[in-house]
Amino acid sequence: MGNVFKGLLAVIAVFTLALMSACGGNSETSGEQSDGSGDGTVDVKVGVISWLTGAGAGYGEAITNGFELANTEIKEEGKVNIELITEDSAGKQEQALSSAQKLMNSENVSMILGPTLSTEMKVVAPEADLNGVPIMGTSTTASGIPQIGDYVFRNSIPESLAIPAAVSSAVEKYDAKKVAILYGNDDVFTKSGYDTMKKVAEEQGLEVLTTETFQKGQADYNAQLTKIKDTKPDLILCSALYNEGAVIMDQARKMGIDVPFVGGNGFNSPEVIKIAGDAANGLIVATPWFGGSEDEKVQTFVDKYKEEYGNEPDQFAAQAYDALYILADAIERAGSDDRDAIRDALAETEGFEGVLGEMSFDEEGDIVMEPTVLTIKDGKFQPFE
Amino acid sequence: MLAELINPYYLQVLSFILINIILGISIYITLSTGQLSLGHAGFMGIGAYTSAIVTINYDLPLIVGILLGAIVAGLTGILIGLPTLRLQGVYLAIATLGFGEVVRVLFINWEGMTQGAVGISSIPHIGRELVTGLRDTGFTADMIGIRSNQLISVLVFLILLVVTILLISFFVRQHRSRVGRAFAAIKMDESAAEAMGINITYYKVLAFAQGALVAGFAGALYAHITAYISPSDFSYHRAVEILIFAVFGGSEVIAGPIFGAIFLTSMPELLRDVSEYRYMIYGVILVAMMAFRPQGLIDYNMIHKLKRLRKKKDQKTIDEKESKRHDIGS
Repeated sequence: MGNVFKGLLAVIAVFTLALMSACGGNSETSGEQSDGSGDGTVDVKVGVISWLTGAGAGYGEAITNGFELANTEIKEEGKVNIELITEDSAGKQEQALSSAQKLMNSENVSMILGPTLSTEMKVVAPEADLNGVPIMGTSTTASGIPQIGDYVFRNSIPESLAIPAAVSSAVEKYDAKKVAILYGNDDVFTKSGYDTMKKVAEEQGLEVLTTETFQKGQADYNAQLTKIKDTKPDLILCSALYNEGAVIMDQARKMGIDVPFVGGNGFNSPEVIKIAGDAANGLIVATPWFGGSEDEKVQTFVDKYKEEYGNEPDQFAAQAYDALYILADAIERAGSDDRDAIRDALAETEGFEGVLGEMSFDEEGDIVMEPTVLTIKDGKFQPFE
Repeated sequence: MLAELINPYYLQVLSFILINIILGISIYITLSTGQLSLGHAGFMGIGAYTSAIVTINYDLPLIVGILLGAIVAGLTGILIGLPTLRLQGVYLAIATLGFGEVVRVLFINWEGMTQGAVGISSIPHIGRELVTGLRDTGFTADMIGIRSNQLISVLVFLILLVVTILLISFFVRQHRSRVGRAFAAIKMDESAAEAMGINITYYKVLAFAQGALVAGFAGALYAHITAYISPSDFSYHRAVEILIFAVFGGSEVIAGPIFGAIFLTSMPELLRDVSEYRYMIYGVILVAMMAFRPQGLIDYNMIHKLKRLRKKKDQKTIDEKESKRHDIGS
């Protein structure tokens, strides 16, 4: 056994050495800064961390498609030359952290876009902030993310902005005073959505009749819905992801609950209509992205995206698309690929016009914009009036 | 020179490999008495949460937090081990699986302490805390010519390496001791072992508690390396992942789970170049392994063969020397 132990140590040692020496060849010093002043273009390496394999690969695909489409257009304009280096995180914190380290240290990127999940962001962002690498989330909506550090940004609107908008429009229109809350308590996203709902209800002086919870993947919501029905609310605030949310609406309508539902950003998906059909009517959500808008910029983006990838862009694609444009704008103003210069330029972003609308960053690096309130009527999303 | 050699990316991957080795050891100990546990993710979570909560809320030093996390997990192991002793094989697996889920649901619902599904962020990071501590004593990364994030990665890696080597050597020694022999006897045949006068209850609970302690320890280290934990990190998937280290590498000898952890953690990183296909290749390797070596890659036979090979070689050199001496003599 002594030999086995020695052999093991040897294996570990060899492994360590191999990896250590492998990095010797790879790492280029970040000292050389190209500002390519010759033809006025700035060359920049940007790292992307996205969820490309596994259960959430659909999100990652939409996001990377958004980046690529934006990048081709930006390259055509010729002011900024961005090289995107994409790494997969498989939705796991460890992998997200490893790929961030790879991008920062082996690839020497000037900036990181992503990762996809808020949980991943909470692990990656402190490391990026410590290394002085600006990082921008395009799909991370949980609270407390831009507050991690000076180098941390996001252009996805947090629940704390989306939900109040949806709730106040609904309260105004239906003159609601009493609400019931239903939320998924085992998911970061739906839980932080609930925290916002509770706060909004308090602020607006709404009476919360009952608060019910459910778990991811649950199939039967009759127990919770019966309780809610008995209390006769004017509105139901429901913090759910679309797959559970659609089933909840379906069962509620069958039970005879016909009051409107107000949902968070995760509830906002065309899938709701596909799953729940007519039962989906009366869902109110606030979202940064409305693909049916008349705006010319939005329509060109939708057409181009459809032509390239064969399906309608969702909010994740749109947020990614805008994020790269915001970044390109910041790089142009910074005029170099220096990490600090890009950070400062990003922080100064104000009144940027994208497909999502007008965007600015506040002093913490969080997005400031007006979300659109949408409702499902006659089987499709329409602006809520 | 030094600055170019140290890449935090590789050190990061190595650190996760080392944590997974510790997890692999934890499942190996429980398996060495023939107990199949799927509750190791739960123990890992208990270690992680305990350490995170005491270091954040009560400002205890990291090392105290990590040890406390391991101890609490170990004690829970005893509590779970005692009543589940009667269960064997699949039944034990199901009971421990239930325990793991209970722990996860507890983390979700005990919001005052664990912040529910949102998880605990800004947990003190081993490396960052150490570097700040060193700065107070007047030592900075610049003095040896590296950046501070490099120093952080190096420190984390070295600490984990030392801890892992200590753990491995302890369990290798235990395997050759009275306790290890008792474990092996119980694994072979419980009734026969009892007839030989081995206190089965004691040794089975000991193995279970040791496994829980080590898993809790790994969990605490994990919490202080990623600086963020949430209940979903310790779900059923994690339990299976830990078990696969032992199933893949082999659970008969300690080298098995260690190899399994190294291989299965580095594989997704090494396959990064083929991006979308990496998990497909990973899956194919797993399936192929199960088809061709169901007992795991490294088992007793392999170790014996290796030993015999080495002995033969030694024998050969001795023979050669002997014959040479004869030649000279004649």
